[in-house]
Amino acid sequence: MTKAKKSLVCWALLSPFLLVVLFPYATMLSTSLKQKDEIFTFHRTWLPRELYLGNFAELIFEKGFGRALANSLAISVGATVLSLAVAIPAAYALTRMRVPGKGALTNYLLITQMISPIVLIVGLFRMFAYFGLVNSLLSVIIAHSAFFMAFAVWMLQSYFATIPKDLEEAAWIDGAGRFSAFIRVFLPLCLPGIVVTAIFTFVNSWNEYAMSLTLLRQVTQQTAPVQIAFLTGTLYQIEWHLIMAATLLASVPVAIVFASIQRYLIGGMALGGVK
Amino acid sequence: MPGIEKTAPRRALSAGRSSKMGLPGPAFALILIAPCLLLSVAVIGYPIFDVIRMSLFDVSRTGVVREFSGLANFAKAFADPVFLQAARQTVIWTVCVVAGTLLVSVPIALILNEDFYGRTIARTIVLLPWAISLAMTAVVWRYVVNGDFGTLNMTLAALGLPFENYPWLADARMAFLIEILIGILVSVPFTVTILLGGLTSIPESLYEASAIDGAASTRSFYYITLPLLWPFMQIALVLNVIYVFNSFPIIWIMTNGGPANRTDILITYVYKQAFAFGKLGNAAAGSMVMFAILLVFAIVYLFLTRAQGAKNDD
Repeated sequence: MTKAKKSLVCWALLSPFLLVVLFPYATMLSTSLKQKDEIFTFHRTWLPRELYLGNFAELIFEKGFGRALANSLAISVGATVLSLAVAIPAAYALTRMRVPGKGALTNYLLITQMISPIVLIVGLFRMFAYFGLVNSLLSVIIAHSAFFMAFAVWMLQSYFATIPKDLEEAAWIDGAGRFSAFIRVFLPLCLPGIVVTAIFTFVNSWNEYAMSLTLLRQVTQQTAPVQIAFLTGTLYQIEWHLIMAATLLASVPVAIVFASIQRYLIGGMALGGVK
Repeated sequence: MPGIEKTAPRRALSAGRSSKMGLPGPAFALILIAPCLLLSVAVIGYPIFDVIRMSLFDVSRTGVVREFSGLANFAKAFADPVFLQAARQTVIWTVCVVAGTLLVSVPIALILNEDFYGRTIARTIVLLPWAISLAMTAVVWRYVVNGDFGTLNMTLAALGLPFENYPWLADARMAFLIEILIGILVSVPFTVTILLGGLTSIPESLYEASAIDGAASTRSFYYITLPLLWPFMQIALVLNVIYVFNSFPIIWIMTNGGPANRTDILITYVYKQAFAFGKLGNAAAGSMVMFAILLVFAIVYLFLTRAQGAKNDD
């Protein structure tokens, strides 16, 4: 079979699934460019009447969706920074030093990763309430970091292990301290791994729903996913044209970033998953 | 990971060297790990303790922990028909989504492992659902299957099919089925990723050898691909069971457990008990049941990966 023929067969076999994946995107795009009267009518079509961008403007300027995006951004950046700040030293110690109780620690981190925050949401809510952090973005930043950090440690470890030790040792022999060898030699070498881990953490935090829903109880603090879900529940007539515009705004940039790192995930995930 | 094995003897060597340089080895390592451990114990460990405590005590609506009540909260939960119904539905939900995910993912991973034109694009599209918030996926699908204004009925009607105003989410069975299908859709990317990792680890030389021996490609699939892929399928199976069992946004946003609790699963039940009805003791007992089940899955996972790791070391 020639490659061209094989390609045709592969695409044909994949097409039903690809169609289901792309259907919601087509829906988002088509609906967000429509005007209200085009949705609530009997004769609906896929193509909007014109390229109408008013939904996006209304969303940002009148519905306060810009603030939801800003909240999401603040939380995701905060959670990424905090989880990397604790995960990088831990992963470094786990790959480069003798750690007492290493097996137990790795297993503990693995188990925390399997517990859904929602199973503990009552306890989580009470704890943050005790510290007066409910309705503060900080609570979600801390909660996200704690739940996404184990995975960051895991991914970083598999990258750190691929960096040859000789380079750092050479730097020590040249008189550099362990810390400056870490900063000048080690970190630049694992920068790609750190970037992939950071992006993955960012996307996870950006997309998280249940903790943000529970810990932030004021409309002004809602993150993008929470506000979008909130918009479907409050109105008598759900304004789908605005909601689809909102999902498009909140998902396409993240999807593009995620797509850019997907090939790094395929190798790393499998290694981490099996070992 | 092969990298770790290779550095293991050297690690012992450098530990000696670093203590010569005056750096305390294990103590310093623990200092590096401390922030990570502290964050995790405070934010995950303490709530576990708190939920255990609440499940065993009488708790007021406002969350005041009163006297010890033994297993009364558990007895109450198990006597609640909605809890039992949610538990049954959790089993259906988890089994259907996980089985469906594997059935769809294995062929997709096998195709994506072939060399064909546009493979990168196909791979990107397949992984796309992973990049989007489950909450937003649920919102978009809720609109897609909307009876009066949704794009599914619009498309079906345009194709001449009689689904003009069919309300997909009004019937509990149909709603649950749609939620299961969406659950499969969002679980496929992660599963395909794990399986692709497994497929790329199979050395090409094995296939070449079997081709030289005159084996047909179906035979090499049964005798090479499947056995070598099996450990990755096990891992994907257990991780998916854990994730799906825990999955909240799809059901919460699409049907909120309704109509009449017929799409509720344990996690939506627990959430409603706590945040809609203020029955914190009940919610904590439900959480503990889920936590115990999750722990069993987690141990199965550790067991599987350890067995796999031991095999790799041989």
